[in-house]
Amino acid sequence: MEQLLVPMLCTVDKVIDETPDIRTYRMKMKDPDLLEKFTWMPGQFVEFSLLGHGECTFCIASSSTRKGYFDCSIKRAGIVTADIHSNVEEGMDIGIRGPYGNWFPVDDIKGSNLLFVGGGIGLAPLRSLIQYCIDTRKDYKDFTILYGARTSSDMCYKEEIEEWKKDPSLKVFLTIDRPEDNWKDSVGVVPKILEEVVKPEIKNTKVITCGPPIMIKYTLASLDKLGFDPKDVITTLEMKMQCGLGKCGRCNIGSTYVCKDGPVFTYEQMKSMPDEF
Amino acid sequence: MNYTNQIQEIATKLFAEGKIDVFVGYRQNLFDENQVPCLVTDPADISKLVFTEKSVFNLSNYLKFEHTRNKRVGLVVKGCDSRALNLMLTESQVKRENVYIVGICCEGVLNEKGEKAQNCVECVMPDAVVYDELLGSPTGKREYLVNADIKELAQKGLTERADYFENVFENCIRCNACRHSCPLCYCAKCCIDQETSSLFHGANTSSSAMHALMTWTLHLAGRCVDCRNCEKACPSHLPLHLLHKQNEMVIYENFQQHLAGMEKDDRGAFYKYSMSDPDDFIM
Amino acid sequence: MSFSIFETDKAGLEKFYTEVISKNETYAPVEAFGKFDYKRVSSLSECMPDSPIQTTMSVKPLFFPKSAKVMKFREDSSGTTLSDTDQDHLAGKRVVLGVKHCDARGLQVLDAVYKWDYIDLDYQKRRENTIIVSTRCDKADTNCFCTSLDYDVENSDAHDVKIVNGLDGKIYIKAVTEKGDILVKSSSIQHPASAAAPEEISKHYKSFEASFRLKMNYTEINEKLQKQFDSIAFEEVSKNCISCNTCAFICPTCHCFKISDEKVRDNGVRYKSYDSCNNGYFTLMAGGHNPRSVKYRRWRQRSMHKFVYYKERFGVNLCVGCGHCAISCPVNISIFDVVNHVANSPAVLQNA
Repeated sequence: MEQLLVPMLCTVDKVIDETPDIRTYRMKMKDPDLLEKFTWMPGQFVEFSLLGHGECTFCIASSSTRKGYFDCSIKRAGIVTADIHSNVEEGMDIGIRGPYGNWFPVDDIKGSNLLFVGGGIGLAPLRSLIQYCIDTRKDYKDFTILYGARTSSDMCYKEEIEEWKKDPSLKVFLTIDRPEDNWKDSVGVVPKILEEVVKPEIKNTKVITCGPPIMIKYTLASLDKLGFDPKDVITTLEMKMQCGLGKCGRCNIGSTYVCKDGPVFTYEQMKSMPDEF
Repeated sequence: MNYTNQIQEIATKLFAEGKIDVFVGYRQNLFDENQVPCLVTDPADISKLVFTEKSVFNLSNYLKFEHTRNKRVGLVVKGCDSRALNLMLTESQVKRENVYIVGICCEGVLNEKGEKAQNCVECVMPDAVVYDELLGSPTGKREYLVNADIKELAQKGLTERADYFENVFENCIRCNACRHSCPLCYCAKCCIDQETSSLFHGANTSSSAMHALMTWTLHLAGRCVDCRNCEKACPSHLPLHLLHKQNEMVIYENFQQHLAGMEKDDRGAFYKYSMSDPDDFIM
Repeated sequence: MSFSIFETDKAGLEKFYTEVISKNETYAPVEAFGKFDYKRVSSLSECMPDSPIQTTMSVKPLFFPKSAKVMKFREDSSGTTLSDTDQDHLAGKRVVLGVKHCDARGLQVLDAVYKWDYIDLDYQKRRENTIIVSTRCDKADTNCFCTSLDYDVENSDAHDVKIVNGLDGKIYIKAVTEKGDILVKSSSIQHPASAAAPEEISKHYKSFEASFRLKMNYTEINEKLQKQFDSIAFEEVSKNCISCNTCAFICPTCHCFKISDEKVRDNGVRYKSYDSCNNGYFTLMAGGHNPRSVKYRRWRQRSMHKFVYYKERFGVNLCVGCGHCAISCPVNISIFDVVNHVANSPAVLQNA
């Protein structure tokens, strides 16, 4: 077991300030051999070690179809993440274990229209899937992206969103909670905009949604109301994970291990799990 | 020593008069002669309550938890238990008007071997010091005795003592039962559990055990009432009383014979300033 | 395949133990502060290998220690380096004496999670290199209920050598596995048991089985518990709990751990050590969300994991009925009482 808990060393290539409390760390493996071999599917996560401070679970926010690096977008929420924000600079070494977990069912969603619904930092795992789907475009039909944040400065990946807006094959809807000067897109919480502005087509559409627990709760309720089949709604579950290997017992919900059977679940699967989260 | 009937009567009366939400007492264990704490919320369960010389656990500990927080509590306390309660009252952990205290003039409890427990033999105050109702006849404060094991330990050389305690720390499994069963360890998040304390955090090594136990001992200095909840809770049977009794002796000798929780509004040994405090170590 | 059965007497058994200790790295129950734990011994006088000595920690720490170093690291101006820790002192070939049947079964139960998917090689090695010698208890302790669960106590293959104090006054040393057979055959006690041995061993079992105070219908309890997730009974059974970590640490099958780093200036060590789901911070996430901040939820998780979830996932019950938890718990909460009370309570919905 002890060997399984030893991380691989990565160097931080770039630090990008996305919002006042979210930073993206672009990393690459130090060992060139590993750099070649390290690959992952969208939705998987890694255990990010700031040696001496602690280890956290973060999803990989970029797709492995874009080679040579991987991104982790980290929100300053607790003690280790605060340490990461204060201490990690370009050129520093980070320990990475992974990739762990299951991934978004990229095969099951082939041939469908895709609706991505994200909120706040929830766009990070979605971005990995969006990039993957853009890079394998012919396998899917129409793309719609709905992304909401508290304010315009709380939006992640602002530059990339501008590129998505320019892409004629993507429909992009943005929303913030309260009106702001110079804001031309929607105003309102994500579930409301989903129902009133996006008005998604149910037929042959799969929905993939990630965000803070409260947004997910109301978004799932809206999707129910709109008539989506729980089998077609895919989300990620947040439960404290530590080892990522199905051994430490932290992420159990019933007999499910979130780090092995998840973190990606369909809404139908979530409904059958004990109501603990 | 048997106050079973009186306690059942008091609990019945308190529930009938609507004065309490929960009564904390003892009940018989299902599988041996020991007693365990019993939190009664339904008057139908009052018949489970007992009180004899096997009523050992310091019930003031239950005032820390969610079942009694912001509720009106009826509580049974012996001498040492009530001293801990006194400190909890002074340290603003409990509101006096929320607790109906049934004080006992304790005759001493028995240990696992069936003999009078060591802390009862050396007891300084068997009568409850704070109460709404007192059961039994008070016998008053007794002479302070230095703990027998401390006296024995003092005969040993430093190396021998160091080896002894190293063995103690080696056997500690960092389960924190001692801390959770001590009424005076009420911090919502213990300093040792803080993620920022990288020295203590995490590993169950003997050095982390030493840090944890010594920090705990120092935080209890002048506040420990020698109820031995900690020692009985410890699954490794560590002699935790040695750590606390040593501090108690030093404080008694140097700080105007201070003993924890004896008086109302007692704020511990280090909150008072006296002209006779030792100062020979100050240049 | 049948393995050796020898018969001997008290003196012969002592000789057997002495030989084992002199020829092998041996662990046995050793006394410290009035209770017993498995420590390395070099002579029979240091230990009491006849179970049932109620040890505090069970045999689990010899395979899954309370604290283990994962790696060392160094961060200085020249960069970061990771290095191996010291050699695993638990991985050598060794014999453990005086292991109770329930503790040995606990290891079999742990095998399921450690051999699943990411295989824990360190644990595997320790298991392969260890020979377990068990004495069957003559009678049950007040909190034991091993015969009520989902495993065959009489014919358990969790240990390698079984020692039975026959009711006829003889002591039977029975090899259960090939590893055990080699150990038994290598001793100087070469007195094959008489033809009556299997029957005597069986008689002993029947007398042992009859001595239990606690019995339950496991299948029924397991089925009933599955419907009790929202039961208000969890609130009642967890009232006395003081949320320390004792029950999980001393349980032979609990395996939750935490990973922590300790660093002083440039050098650091990563540790893996015991943790418990009864801990108030177990599910605490950054940002403050804590699904199991309330005590009854932690007790629900603990009891359901032990009696329902692990069985569902791995096919074996996570509790082995040893009773260690009830004895070590500061307020003597017994998981037997908890699951029986909850299973048999009318299912009343929690008001969240």
